[in-house]
Parts: sequence; structure tokens; C-alpha cells
Amino acid sequence: MALLTSIWRSAILRVARWLFALALLHAAAAQAAAPPPEYQLKAIFLFNFAQFVEWPPRATGGEQEPFVIGVLGDDPFGPYLDETVKGEKIGNHPMVVRRYRRAEEVGDCNVLFISRSESDRMGQIIAAFRGRSVLTVGDVDDFNRVGGIVRFVTEQGKIRLRIDVKAAQAAGLTISSKLLRSATLVTAEDK
Amino acid sequence: MGFALFGERGWDANTAPMNPAACPRAPTNPNPRRPGRRRRIALIAACSGLLGLVPRAAGQTVVALPPPSDLKKLSVDELMDINVTSVSLHSEKLSEAASAIQVITADDIASSTATSIPEALRLASNLEVAQIDSRQWAISARGFNNLFADKMLVLIDGRSVYTPLYAGVYWDVQDTIMEDIDRIEVISGPGATQWGANAVNGVINISTKTAMETQGGLVVAGGGSELEDSEEVRYGGKLAPGVDYRVYAKYFDRGDSVLPNGSAAGDAWRMGQTGFRLDSDAAEGTWLTLQGDFYDGSVTRQGPEDIHMSGGNLLGRWTRTFDDNSDMVAQVYYDETYRKIPNSFTQSLNTYDFDFKYRLPIGKVNDFTWGLGYRLEDDDITNTPAEAFLPSQATEQTFNTFVQDEITLVDDRLHLTLGTKFEEYSFTGDEFEPSARAAWTPSGDQTVWAAVSRAVRVPSRIDLDLYEPATPPYRQAGGPGVVSEKLIAYELGYRKQLSSAVALSLATYYNDYSDLRGLEPLNPPAAFPVQVDSGLRGKSSGAELAADWRISRVWRLHGGWTEMRVGSSPEPGSTDRVANRSIALDPNHQVQLRSLLDLSAQWQFDTDLRYVGPIANQRVPGYTEMDQRLAWRPVPAWEFSLNGQNLLHDYHAEFNPPGSRREIGRSIFGKAAWRF
Repeated sequence: MALLTSIWRSAILRVARWLFALALLHAAAAQAAAPPPEYQLKAIFLFNFAQFVEWPPRATGGEQEPFVIGVLGDDPFGPYLDETVKGEKIGNHPMVVRRYRRAEEVGDCNVLFISRSESDRMGQIIAAFRGRSVLTVGDVDDFNRVGGIVRFVTEQGKIRLRIDVKAAQAAGLTISSKLLRSATLVTAEDK
Repeated sequence: MGFALFGERGWDANTAPMNPAACPRAPTNPNPRRPGRRRRIALIAACSGLLGLVPRAAGQTVVALPPPSDLKKLSVDELMDINVTSVSLHSEKLSEAASAIQVITADDIASSTATSIPEALRLASNLEVAQIDSRQWAISARGFNNLFADKMLVLIDGRSVYTPLYAGVYWDVQDTIMEDIDRIEVISGPGATQWGANAVNGVINISTKTAMETQGGLVVAGGGSELEDSEEVRYGGKLAPGVDYRVYAKYFDRGDSVLPNGSAAGDAWRMGQTGFRLDSDAAEGTWLTLQGDFYDGSVTRQGPEDIHMSGGNLLGRWTRTFDDNSDMVAQVYYDETYRKIPNSFTQSLNTYDFDFKYRLPIGKVNDFTWGLGYRLEDDDITNTPAEAFLPSQATEQTFNTFVQDEITLVDDRLHLTLGTKFEEYSFTGDEFEPSARAAWTPSGDQTVWAAVSRAVRVPSRIDLDLYEPATPPYRQAGGPGVVSEKLIAYELGYRKQLSSAVALSLATYYNDYSDLRGLEPLNPPAAFPVQVDSGLRGKSSGAELAADWRISRVWRLHGGWTEMRVGSSPEPGSTDRVANRSIALDPNHQVQLRSLLDLSAQWQFDTDLRYVGPIANQRVPGYTEMDQRLAWRPVPAWEFSLNGQNLLHDYHAEFNPPGSRREIGRSIFGKAAWRF
């Protein structure tokens, strides 16, 4: 009897230990899955850009063609961005998220977030999209200077937008005044 | 309207049920600068229980954002107001969650026809805003409105503009570039515990944008029938990394008000103003602001000489945030005003003010703030035979201390704020202004709040020192025995988010006043002479309802309905018959409806409709008026708008009895703005 009790006890202890370890793992995983608040908010902004920017008809393709939000380089958003656009449509175009390792992989894409991991070749990447109706978005310091259209800036803990309207026009994009009103307008020459 | 309730064309924190503990905001009081610019939504989101603060080890906090489904409902501006860091400067004031606050945002102002601060205040449905003539306004919350509404405290970037001479605000010299206003918080109900004396019926807290937010150039020019011409120029740049500045200048000419018979009242006026603001966040955890304004203007009068007013101010503020989530703010300012009213008096007032505040969260339960302040007001009057302030020169010193604790009784559910202000006045002695506010959030989409507070209005020189005429025998004599007016206020409020598109806020109150300023006949039953005393009691009650309905991404409606009953009576022993009839000049009803419509990406069409009930004891009839604005932004750098104010009548009355009344004419003007 005493033996049984002791086996029983050790089993419970073992299970408890496992559960504890699992819980820790789960917590760690959950932590990893949720991007920092800054990127959660940036994901929401990417979704919003789709509402406030007009693409030329050819860029959005035929009916049922997806509206693509692309992430180039290391993905800071994780599943959060997918959750954000899940079930959303722009007109008849369902929104989807696509991730790319290299600029050459980017096919039809409407909004392209270029990650910090691409800092070193940001200028080349943006140049590669010249003439295509892609809203380039980034958060590295010189993003506008190298020709990017929308740059996220974090000031006093809040997300601000720096938008290069000329670059947008060159890409055939029309940005709503509603979005522009809330943004700082820049040109490639301004820093 | 940009009610507090609603954020820009969005939703606002305040209608949205709040979880006050969680709202990242900055300390309100005496430092409404950017770090402290607690814009509506940080709140909103924050507060709607959307945002929760997740406690981490070592007392550090991290902001947890709401799920994407909630964030997607917010406008771009609202998103920009969410703080993604845990800087305590942005933490919400629990005390405000349990108060009737409406916020007029920069976007509310941009989509209105407002060309001045008083016009912008019409957007808050919890205020009574009555235009008296071409340049004077009566503005108050919760009754006892008048040219000098002495129970409203008004601050611009932390600087009090309440004049201790008249106990009120000279609205004609409170100005800035409208585009540079970041937000106007309108708190109806007492705010004395935090803000100090004279915040009896409410507080209007105007904050301008930081220099970081006003980079680049702006030129605005306009003109039309009442606003005859108006020019504004602003330029912002960088002095060094993290050090930004802006400079501005503006000038306007405004036309006459209208006599009841329809002819011009001859009170056209003009004003020029210039100023600057410098902000630095170059050092980690530190924010520095230096700003100043200078103005000069004159008013035409039917008389020999124009009224002349001029002034200036200089303010410095230092905010420091520490790793343990505490922060402190030190602010100092100097303000100088000069006003010459020929045949009446000339006033020169110099104010020196210092404020310090320290906020220290202790554990998860207590968020403790203490502060102290000192103010010296040196007022020098040049009297005329018609009336005199005696003595002509007076210096008042005020010292105050303040403690407040925001207590989280049940996480995310029940919060209590206890605090008091203690002030020492050289004119009148000591004042004690405690309050207790509680907010209960039974579920994420609704909040019930209640508050009991005491507030005082300290006597001003118009109560103590004004004699008419300047030499005996006086028809009206000053009241050296006047004591502070006291209020005990009981408030109860409710906020509810009915759906993702509709939010409601209701605030109700019962106010019990004593020692209100009266005029006691010296030889009753003769009505005159009189002496100022503290012989009246007052009671008021009312309800302020506001709603925000987001019909679609391009169309929003805001509505406001305010009911109010205000009355006064002589205290036992008083034979006052004059003041008792005229201290409460308030309409019983006010209704507002605002429509914000984006016709396309380039075109906006906005309409403000307001009904103000009759003011019975001034025989001002009730009126309905409408403002409209059509704006076109063909390219981002340019905006053109056509604006109409008070469109429904050629002219209408808003204040004052028929004999001294000036009426307000229809105003139509065009405006062009260029940003570079």
C-alpha cells in the first residue's frame, strides 16, 4: 500500500513537472507569437493604407484577384498581420499576406513592407520597384531618402507617418487627403 | 463638436467606456505638452478596456494592445494616438475617467468653420458659448455664465489665462494658429482638486502641438464678411537632433457686430500676434519646452479713442521620466497683459508662476501624485473718475500644495481617486478643495462613475476693490468682507459603447453653492447704493448627453443635448435684489448635431447645427443656427474651403438684455491653406 502511494505520488509529481514545463513553453511561445505593440500597430496601419490609397485598375487585377500585402525580409509581424487582414476585402479583392525573402520573389503586390533586415540594400530594393504600383512602406531611418513612399517613425511612443507624395505619384498611386492630413509630407531631398 | 466624446472624426475615449487604469496618457495639469498631450485616443483605445497594462516583473509595465478587430475600427489619427511604449508620461488619469470630459481634437477644429478659440469651443456640447459682440464671449459650463464667467478655469499650454482682476477670461486676446492646436479638453464639473481655485464649474485646457509636429511651412489666408481678412504664417524646423522649433505670426481684421435695429455696432477690431515654441527630447527621459507669444490689437469704439490691448508670455517646462515609471514636471512662466479702456480704466498685470508635480506609482494599487505651486500676480490699474479699483495697485501671492492617490480597488473594474488641494491666498486666507471620484467598469463596454467634490472661487479685485464712481458717495462699493464662493458638487455619469459604431456618454450633476457674490443695498429699501458681499446661495442641476455615430468610413454624426436648471436666492439676512436676478443667465436647453462627411478623397462637407434655448432673465430668445464648410484638397499641399457661420439668420441675439445687446451677423468667408 505504502509502495503504491509512493508510486502514485511520484507520478503526480512527474506529471506536474511536465505540465509546468509545458506551461512555460506555452508562455514563451505566446510571447514569441505576439509582436511588440509597435508592430501590432504597424500591422493595423498596413491594413489601413489599403483603404486610403487608390491603385490604378491594372495593379489590382481582375475580380477575385487577391489584394496583396507583402512583407520583404525578416517578418516582424508574425501571425498578427494575417489575423488583421483575415476575411477583409478591398472591393472584390480578398486581402492576403505574402512573405518574400528576396525582392525578385515579389510578384503582384499592392502594399510592400520592407523589413529592417534589408537595411543594407534598401535603395536597390526600392529602385527595383520603380514604375510599379507598389506602396513601399518601411521604418528604417533613411527610408524616404532612398525613395520609399511611407515611413513609420516612432515619436514619443506614438507612430507617425512620413509620406513622399511625389514618389507615390510616380508609382501611379493616389493617397487620400485624409491620410495625408495626418502625416508629415516629405520629399526625397529632405533628409 | 468634437465632443470629448468623440475623437476626431472618430470615436473618442470618453464615450467609449474607459478602463482608466490602462490608459496611457500624460499628466494633465500643469504641463499639457506633447508628452503630456494625452490625445483622445490613447485613451480611447486605451481606455475602452481595449488597452490593458500587463504587469511584468519588477514593476515594469508593458502595453498590451487590443485585438486587431478592435484596432481596425479606429481612424488613422486615433491609431496615431496610441502609445506603444510604457512611458508613464502617457498614463491616463483615473480622475478623468470619473469626470465629464469632452475633447475637441485638432481634426475637429480642422473640419469646423472655427477661426478662433471661442468659436472652436462651440464644438463642446457641455459648454454654454454665447457671443456678446464682435469680440466678447460668455463661456461657461453648468451655469452662471457671463461676460466674465468667473467659475471656469482656462489654461493654454499650462498657463492660466483667468484674470484675477475681473475673475474671468479676456477671450479677445487668447489666440494662436488654429492649425497648431493639438486638443482642447473641456471638463464640465469641478476640477479644483487638481487644477486649483476657480475650477468650480469646469476647466478648459488648451494644448498646442509640439514643435516636432509642426515642421515645415504653413500659410493660411482668408477673408469674407465678418472675418474681413486673416493671415497666418508658421514655419517649423530643426535646430539640432531632437531639438525642434516653430515660429508663427498672424493677423486678422474682424467686422462689426449688429445692433438690434440692424445697423452696424461700430466695434470692429484687429489683432496681430507672433510667437514661438521650442521642444527638445534630445536627452533620454527628458522633455524640454520653451515657448512664448506676443500680441497687440485694438477695438474701434463709438467714442474718442480705441480700446487697446497687448501682452506677452514666456513659459519653460521640464519633464523627466524615471525608470521606475515615475515622472516629474517643473514649469515656470511669466505673463504680461495690458489693456486700456478709455474713460474706464487701464490695467497692467504681471504674473509669475512656478509649478512642480511628481507622480509615483506604488505597486499595482496606488498611483500617487503630489505637487506644489507658487504664483505672484502684480496688478496695476490707472483709474478714471467713472470707476476705480482701490487701491489701484495690488499684489497677490498664492501658494498651493496638492496630493492625489489613484487607487485600483479591483483590477480593470473599480477605481477610486482621492485627493485634495490646499491653497494659501494672500487676499483671503486658506482654501481646502478635496474630492472623491470612483469609476466602475462592470463590463468592457460600459463605465459608471460618481464624484463628490468641493471647489471654491476666490474673490477677485472686481469683488474686493471696485468702486463706482471713483470718489464717495459711491453708488457701488467694493466688498472688503467678501469671502470665497463655495461649491459642493455631486456628479453621476455613465458611458456605454452600444455597438462598434455608436457610443454614448451621459453626465448628471447637482451643485450646491454658498457665499455667491451679491450686491447688498446699504440703505434698504433703497436699491442703491450697494456693496459687494457674499450674500447669495445657488443651486443647479442638469444632464449632459453626447453621442457619436460612425455611420460609415466617410460619414460620422455627433450629437449633444444639455439640460440645465440654475437658480439663486439670498442667504438669510441678505436683502440683495439686484445680483440675485442676474447672476444666473443661462439657457435651460442646448442641442447640437454635427455631420462630418467625406464626399471623396478630395472633398469634405461638414455641417454644425445648434439650438440654444431662451435665456429668460435677459429676454434672449431661443435660436437655431447652422455653420457649414465645404473643403477641397486637390493636392496634398493645398486646401481651399468655403465657410459659412450662423447661416440661418441675417443676425441673431445670443446674450445680454435688449438695451445693451449686440447681435451676431451671418459670416461667410473663404480660406486657402498651403503647406510646404
